[in-house]
Amino acid sequence: MISSLRPSKRRPQPQLTPETGSQVTAGIKNFELKRNDKYYAWLFLGPSLLVLSIFVFYPMLRTFYLSLFLTDNFGRPTVFVGFQNYVNLLATKSYLASLQATGIYVVGVATFTIIVGLLLAAVANQKIKGIEFFRTIFTSTMGVSVSVSAIFWLFMFNPSIGILNKLAVGLHLPVVNWLTDPHWAMVAVIMTSVWMHLGFTFLIFFGALQSVPKTLYDAADVAGTNSRYQFWHITLPMISPTLFFVAVITLISSFKSFGLIDLMTAGGPTNATNLLVYRVYRDAFVDGNYALASTESIVLAVIIALITLIQFKLLAKRVNY
Amino acid sequence: MTSLKTGWQRYWQWLVGVLVVLLALGGFAYNRTRAHADTGRTKVVFWHEMKGPGQKALDSYVKEFNRKQSKYEVVAEFEGGYNDVIQKILNTHGTAASPALFQSMDISTSQMYHSGFTTPMQKFVDRDHYDLDQIIPGAKAIDMRQGQLLAMTFNASQTALYYNKAVLRKYGITPPPVDPTYSDITRVAKEIHSKSHGQVKGMTMEAYSWLFEQLVANAGVPLTNHDNGHTGNATKADFTSPAAIKAMEWVKENIDAGDFMNFGSGGNASANESASFLSGHLGIFMQSSALTGQLYKTLKNDLGVTYYPRPDGTKANGIAVGGAALWIANDKPAAVQDGAWEFTKFLVNAQNQADWQAKTGYLAVNKQSKDEPQLKALFKKSPVLAVSGDQLARTKPNNTNSGVFVDGWVPARTAIQNAMQQIFAGEDIKKSLTTAENTYNKVLESNNRANGRN
Amino acid sequence: MGIELRGITKAYEHAAQPVLREVNAEIQDGELFVIVGPSGCGKSTLLRMIAGIIPITAGQLAIDGQVMNGVPPKDRKLSMVFQSYALYPFLDVAANVAFGLKARKMPVAEIKKRVTEALEMVNLTKYRARKPRELSGGQRQRVALARAIASDAKICLMDEPLSNLDAQLRVKMRAEIRELQRKLGLTLIYVTHDQTEAMTMADHVMVLNDQQVQQIDTPLDIYNHPANHFVAQFFGTPQINLLTVKAEQQATHELRVDSALKVVLKEPLALGTYTLGIRPNQLIATTVIGDTGNAQVINVETLGEQTIIEAILDSGVPVRIVQAGQVQIDIEQRIEVTAKGAAFIFDDHQQLIVEQGGITDDQLVTAK
Repeated sequence: MISSLRPSKRRPQPQLTPETGSQVTAGIKNFELKRNDKYYAWLFLGPSLLVLSIFVFYPMLRTFYLSLFLTDNFGRPTVFVGFQNYVNLLATKSYLASLQATGIYVVGVATFTIIVGLLLAAVANQKIKGIEFFRTIFTSTMGVSVSVSAIFWLFMFNPSIGILNKLAVGLHLPVVNWLTDPHWAMVAVIMTSVWMHLGFTFLIFFGALQSVPKTLYDAADVAGTNSRYQFWHITLPMISPTLFFVAVITLISSFKSFGLIDLMTAGGPTNATNLLVYRVYRDAFVDGNYALASTESIVLAVIIALITLIQFKLLAKRVNY
Repeated sequence: MTSLKTGWQRYWQWLVGVLVVLLALGGFAYNRTRAHADTGRTKVVFWHEMKGPGQKALDSYVKEFNRKQSKYEVVAEFEGGYNDVIQKILNTHGTAASPALFQSMDISTSQMYHSGFTTPMQKFVDRDHYDLDQIIPGAKAIDMRQGQLLAMTFNASQTALYYNKAVLRKYGITPPPVDPTYSDITRVAKEIHSKSHGQVKGMTMEAYSWLFEQLVANAGVPLTNHDNGHTGNATKADFTSPAAIKAMEWVKENIDAGDFMNFGSGGNASANESASFLSGHLGIFMQSSALTGQLYKTLKNDLGVTYYPRPDGTKANGIAVGGAALWIANDKPAAVQDGAWEFTKFLVNAQNQADWQAKTGYLAVNKQSKDEPQLKALFKKSPVLAVSGDQLARTKPNNTNSGVFVDGWVPARTAIQNAMQQIFAGEDIKKSLTTAENTYNKVLESNNRANGRN
Repeated sequence: MGIELRGITKAYEHAAQPVLREVNAEIQDGELFVIVGPSGCGKSTLLRMIAGIIPITAGQLAIDGQVMNGVPPKDRKLSMVFQSYALYPFLDVAANVAFGLKARKMPVAEIKKRVTEALEMVNLTKYRARKPRELSGGQRQRVALARAIASDAKICLMDEPLSNLDAQLRVKMRAEIRELQRKLGLTLIYVTHDQTEAMTMADHVMVLNDQQVQQIDTPLDIYNHPANHFVAQFFGTPQINLLTVKAEQQATHELRVDSALKVVLKEPLALGTYTLGIRPNQLIATTVIGDTGNAQVINVETLGEQTIIEAILDSGVPVRIVQAGQVQIDIEQRIEVTAKGAAFIFDDHQQLIVEQGGITDDQLVTAK
């Protein structure tokens, strides 16, 4: 097979030879060809621009357009209201509560995922007998789908048969209404989400820790530092690009948490876990209020854009080496 | 330059090639879907939202219908949840993808009516002189507008109250009457809790708006102005009527007494509460009558069922049916619509409705179904399965027990559900319900404005 | 007092064989002590045990008379330079140099002074604000040196510090390190696999092979009095010729490889098999005509100031001969290989038993 393929590979590829390249460069001086280049440029860009227009730009503009109207039962914009939807939305208590809940959720998930993931990776990075087994265990959540983890945790949170409350009873701790108490529901979904993110985060952190050269620690040993000092002054700075990467990934992915919320709390109780994305879904596809959902989408897009901007500003400043 | 040119030619060749392949694939797929219908029969696409036993039973009726006649071919397609289908119908109407017949839930009646996308069933009823009296009044009332039948009630259910007879027996508690008042239930719930020394919780109520709405309906009070929208376009919600507050006070009394168990809301809540109920950790709960069969499977004759509770000192007004109805879309040719009507009649005949109730637990909407041998035998063996049907049969329809004829009731349900959760968590009843009312009034207002119905 | 190694042994639990066996040495204050050996001989392990990065399995390590086994690295008062430089990529040059000082909570002014001095000493003052990735290999090496200098420790350990540099830079850095060591009065333990570094830099050399010490001596003594085959082969380029010879007569004074190539001994040897070690510059190749002679040239390397001739003796044994100057000689040319006289004789355990002095000793004398 390989030998039969080879001759065809060796066939001259005229457009790649240096002579052709010089011809093109020479040709740019020619006005007519320059015009042709422009024409070609658009031709090359054409397909991707078309795809982007259909699947990205148009929906974005349409969403913004819809957010300036009231939409009827068919989702058609009927009454132009300008920015009234935005004004109303930002005056809606439950929306502000959703904003707050999303903030708590996103920050909570990212923080705990990073801390626990790093902790597990640090443990797995030790030379202990049988650590390979734990490395496998720690990465295992990567293979678990949202629905399976949601069901798995729902069982654990079950008020009457859940293992968590059974444990609590066994330890003479007060029983917690995991998914029915507004505060605990947030804790519960954060726990589940952190658990889901953990496998991936662990793997990334573990890889990062492994790639820190051992001699850096040797040098620090000789320089007279203890292991805590080394963690803060060598390990953390060395893995800071990874840390940033994980933070971005986790933040964005928890902003998008939908399946988990839908399966575990459906936004409840009392809207305690009604995150922005879930709210958009409910308003659009359950309540059929496309104008409101569009307005919320635009606000969400602006928030995510802002956060991304801040993150990349930080990236340029802090984690570059 | 020649080589550059050949490069371009190659680019175009590729582009054209890819397009050709895409078009060919599209054409092939299109032909495949077309070919399916080429049987000489008129194809009637039927969208439904039934899973499990419901889907199984439906498929068997479709098969039976297609076997019995040769004019139409019904193709049943499962389309997901009730909410999804509304949006799908609104978005596909007038296209080749839309169905001829579809199942849509109780609270979408007004929206479907206003969409203008459906042919009222009354047209076919009148044309065929179909005997509409065979359909139970309480079951069809929700699908009527000014005496006209809009859709055919199909999978009907009502809210019911369940109690565990074994638990009551164990602690020597007198069971509640079949048509109980709030205080009848409170008594039993409190006794369960106290006599079991807290081992068994007395009662629960899922934070589910439907349950709240039916408590208010049973008191004979509307939830919006213009008689729940039946006599005009609803413009104001009323979630803070004395009846509504009383209903919540009843729950609150049990919460304060400690016999109430909060399961929250959503699919997990109902799964958790029935699990608790079946395992004897919970004495009483309220849920759809469609659950009767499932509970009966485990508890057998230890399952107790009553009518939905009513306020003390009032007669039960009766409650609306939940579930969904069958609608005929008007974007299909008359022949297809006729096929949809024929199939509708077939689905609600006495025999099929009897079979439907026996297999799924939905209440038969045909008056004669209860005389069918299948149901007769069933009720004889397990009288408890007949209770909810009796409740439906005795209901005299009026504007307060025939559902809410308002576009976009889902946000109201969300708002009420939130209020219920707040109340269950100990917040003030009036305050919580007022918040829900204000929230929904805003939705109602902008919705009316958007749909040009001020 | 210096550093004393007494019976230092390193073994890992899972391995049957120790990686280092019974290492004994005394390293004097202020000397440059080179540990040399092929890769895998345990030289880095030994250095790391001295540093305290890895524990000593058996034996005793004393620094200035104090036993240091089990003492953490930071309390051994030494600095270390690594093959990979071990620079912190996220810190600039100055911060890298200051790392250990900061960790010890030294006053800021003192840190600043030391960093400035150290950078000055390695000519990196201009680069103090750069990140390691913006430096060349040689500059990175200097940063690592500056870090060792700034620590002010009197003992410095270097683990193959020059092996990542190109040949020319290596020569330059060799001299610089040597100079720094002298200037600062450091006791420098320097690990390398490169015998040239050992020869050119060391006050004393420890040759490690096969998990044990082969010889400890000054570079010239190692060259002139190699304790065994390994040491003889490891030092000197091109490699020494080791030729197997039989002493066929009792108490013979002559060891013959063949009729032309022979060494006359001052002391008689007993009957037996010996290895004759003759450095390439102690052999002479004379071109002959026709089929005479005792060897045939197979390769010639002309280096300018000397010529290396590789030939095969008629007995089939290859030999290397170095002639001064530029010698015109063809491949496949017949030659006669004879010995000048200087030679080492090793017994059948590869140990040196006789040194047959030659020109080397004379050279030494004249040098004095």
